[in-house]
Amino acid sequence: MNDSFSEHEELLLRSLDAPVSAQDREKLAALMQSEFALRRQSDQYSRIREMMLRQQSDSFGPFFAERIINQLKQRVNEIDYLIFFFFKKYQVLVVGVLVALLIANILLTDQFSLRAIFGLDKPATEDIYSIDAYKSLPQ
Amino acid sequence: MSMKEDLDEVLIEKSRSGDMAAFKMLVVRHEGKVAGVVRSMLGAIPEAEDVGQEVFIKFYDSLNKFRGESQVSTYLIRIAINLALNELKRKQKANARYASLENAGAIGDAADTMDLKELLDYEFHQLDPDFQAVATLRLIEGYSTEETSSLLGIPLGTTLSRLARAQHKLRMALSKKLKP
Repeated sequence: MNDSFSEHEELLLRSLDAPVSAQDREKLAALMQSEFALRRQSDQYSRIREMMLRQQSDSFGPFFAERIINQLKQRVNEIDYLIFFFFKKYQVLVVGVLVALLIANILLTDQFSLRAIFGLDKPATEDIYSIDAYKSLPQ
Repeated sequence: MSMKEDLDEVLIEKSRSGDMAAFKMLVVRHEGKVAGVVRSMLGAIPEAEDVGQEVFIKFYDSLNKFRGESQVSTYLIRIAINLALNELKRKQKANARYASLENAGAIGDAADTMDLKELLDYEFHQLDPDFQAVATLRLIEGYSTEETSSLLGIPLGTTLSRLARAQHKLRMALSKKLKP
């Protein structure tokens, strides 16, 4: 197929889509009068453009908006499910680790009070006051 | 700002806060423009609706980024063109992989039996995707050449040159059937 076009055809095409100078307009009018081929091309371009304008589509069919909303809602549900699934997958492991820590604490401290289990043993005075703070007190 | 844009702004604000009914209304209001661009570029194929859905889902995901500097329709058409171009290029690659000379000959024969409208549709979709984008916006959707350039982010001269070459190719391909 020949992809190049003549200067006259180029002018004709330009006049269809962009403003042309008064001089070019006059030139085109004169060419249209004298050149049968250019007149035929002009007619062919008009027909092509008319047919293309009629191809306009204005819908994707019924319930398009509903389908999008459903898709978005479905996506939100999938995210919720993934979050739930993630926690469900690890919840047994997390509870197991906590129980193991509690048992280890009981065995290491040899105490069964709740305070001991949670590491809240009664603190000694020297744990509360640092030795440096003691030294700074007036003698 | 027009009433139409005012309403879009209200609907976007509501959509941002999770109001699906407001977003649905945005889809209904702008479906036509998006369908026009996508279906013109891809033709009446099932993938066209998938691309249409992707346009609005991408828009939903970027609602917080949308600053309102351009109109909603302009913003949507830009997304639509990019996605349709990607789809066209993907299809062209796939076609190039599987097409054989034998098939090309068969299509050539079929062209003789197609009517003018079918042939125009066929030839339009044989154009380079970048030419199709320009021709869709200017010749099918009726945007001015300046608007077309701005939507595609290309210089006006490039738009005019692509438009002229696209029309010339179509005329050459259809010349047999366009005889008076």
